[in-house]
Amino acid sequence: MRRTLMRDPVFWLCLFLLTGLLLLSFGNTIFRDGQVDQISNRYAEDGTFLATSPLKPSSDQWLGTDRSGYDLFQLMIEGFKWTAGICMIVALGRMFLSLVIAIPLAFRSARVNRYLKLILDGFLVLPLSLVALLILLPSLTFFDSTAIPPLFDRVSFELIVLILLGLPSLSLYLIAETRQLLSQEFMIVAQTLGGSPWHRFRRHIWPHLVPTLTIVFMQQFIQTLMLLVHLSLFKIFFAGTVNLYVGTAPTIFEWSSMFGYYYNQFSATSWLNHMFLVPLIGLALVVFFSNLFMSRLERAFRFRQQLKPIKLSASRAQDEAAATSMVDPFTLVARNSRHDSD
Amino acid sequence: MVFIARKSIQLIVAFFVLIAISALPALVAQMKFNPASYWEGLKQQFAQLTKLDEITYFNVTAQKEFLLLPTISPFIKETLIIFTTAMLVSAVCAIFYAYLFYRSGRKTRMMLKQTTRTLEMVPDLFWIILSQFLVLYLFKTTGYDKIEIAGSYAEYIRFLPILTLTLTTLFFFIKWLTTQVLEQEAAPFLELARAKGIRPAALFWKHLIPTMIYRFYLFFRANIITVLSSLVIIEYTFEVQGMFRFVFYNGQMPILMVILFLIYLPIFIIDLLAEWLIPNAWKGGI
Repeated sequence: MRRTLMRDPVFWLCLFLLTGLLLLSFGNTIFRDGQVDQISNRYAEDGTFLATSPLKPSSDQWLGTDRSGYDLFQLMIEGFKWTAGICMIVALGRMFLSLVIAIPLAFRSARVNRYLKLILDGFLVLPLSLVALLILLPSLTFFDSTAIPPLFDRVSFELIVLILLGLPSLSLYLIAETRQLLSQEFMIVAQTLGGSPWHRFRRHIWPHLVPTLTIVFMQQFIQTLMLLVHLSLFKIFFAGTVNLYVGTAPTIFEWSSMFGYYYNQFSATSWLNHMFLVPLIGLALVVFFSNLFMSRLERAFRFRQQLKPIKLSASRAQDEAAATSMVDPFTLVARNSRHDSD
Repeated sequence: MVFIARKSIQLIVAFFVLIAISALPALVAQMKFNPASYWEGLKQQFAQLTKLDEITYFNVTAQKEFLLLPTISPFIKETLIIFTTAMLVSAVCAIFYAYLFYRSGRKTRMMLKQTTRTLEMVPDLFWIILSQFLVLYLFKTTGYDKIEIAGSYAEYIRFLPILTLTLTTLFFFIKWLTTQVLEQEAAPFLELARAKGIRPAALFWKHLIPTMIYRFYLFFRANIITVLSSLVIIEYTFEVQGMFRFVFYNGQMPILMVILFLIYLPIFIIDLLAEWLIPNAWKGGI
């Protein structure tokens, strides 16, 4: 799998784009203290007034500015670390907790898993965005901008809710995946030879689960991003929404919140301006490249699976050839030949 | 008999789980998890079960309270129309695409695969905005104003929500069907049928499709949450007078409980019908 990925230019392109954006974002925080330039008006060289914010994209402000005059390019760069960070933490959190739940349950009898599936069936048909909205709406909408709880509390609360909501489906998936591995011949042999559940997990299941988990991570990353975008459309911005006299506003300018903020602000008055299009296209590209990244991982994983049965070591091939040879079937071909169990 | 008992237990358990979910808003208050308040909420929801016909909601337009259960039927109808039409259209289109894919040569297959894989990566939100933009652009350039981009209390909007939900699910279905066609193509039963001289069209429609229908349904069932999530956002952005948009504006716990039942029940019935109506042979049995 690793070799296939190393030779895949599309994989490297996706990795380069996503990592590049992340580095730029952290760079802006470290070297410029997270500063975003604010330009209210645009003047010609002779001092003539040209336009006021929101300024359209130009060579000075590549993506234009928003109504408050903030440079959208810098705002996008600064916000990316939040968007990517939230999605990564939620994806990793869900995966870690799901593994803790799923692995012991996968070793239990099929009946326990059947009951679990029965109990969770009702949960698996409900749109996550709807459930998240109903839980987050009362807690993360603030009517007094001077009495907003600390950022850490807001962020940790929302992260916990987002992680917990994804647990049932992911746990069921990992149980099914692990049980499928457990039913394989090599696992039955490992059990027959007396391997304890922990040993079987550590030595046999984990190496097989890692490629799947890589794909699951990307799936969860995209799912979380889409959930954040959906919530922001409902005016539930990440880390809270402030209700002001002029409308709602986010407390952190990460990409999904920016999209929801500008969408709700402008869909009623003017249509398709750069403010609304910049985060939309940015988000669509992130989802697109993340999907592409995942499809390349899946492709590499598929190649690995396909290669497995036909991958014969030279010594084993020689042994087989000798065994089927009619001339002298008992001649040793290679001393200490090792049979590749893969 | 065992089947009916099993399904009845499943329904009862699901209802309990849905009640537990509908009480979740009581679990959180001021960013703190409060189990005691959740317990109270649960008790309240169970008490409400006996008085389902008394649940009311406040209609902002009419500025008065209405009984939920008879008044919600147009909202359910609207959601069902959009959901079922989009699902049928995308399933039929995906099956025809699979047929086209099955009959195509290597080069065409590669091209089709690349195109659909790229389109599948586009998020649902992009389809929504793009469709609204295209309709507005059409209006600005030609003056054609027959396509609605947003509904209202008195006006139904169906074309664009159905179109965007269809597009979102179509590529999703296509991906699965294409993989299945590639996997099943070399199956012994198809080889045998081909050896007997059956034409490729008959091979696809009579032999390949029946073996895939049940698994296609299972795939759809496993991913229904994604489809419904898209529907939630479509109803909200297009202002569809549907069930999901209704719950967004009326999120009180008793209303939520009824809506969750109303979401689960049709899916449960479809499950039941699929298990009953799809022949055993199509499920891989004898």
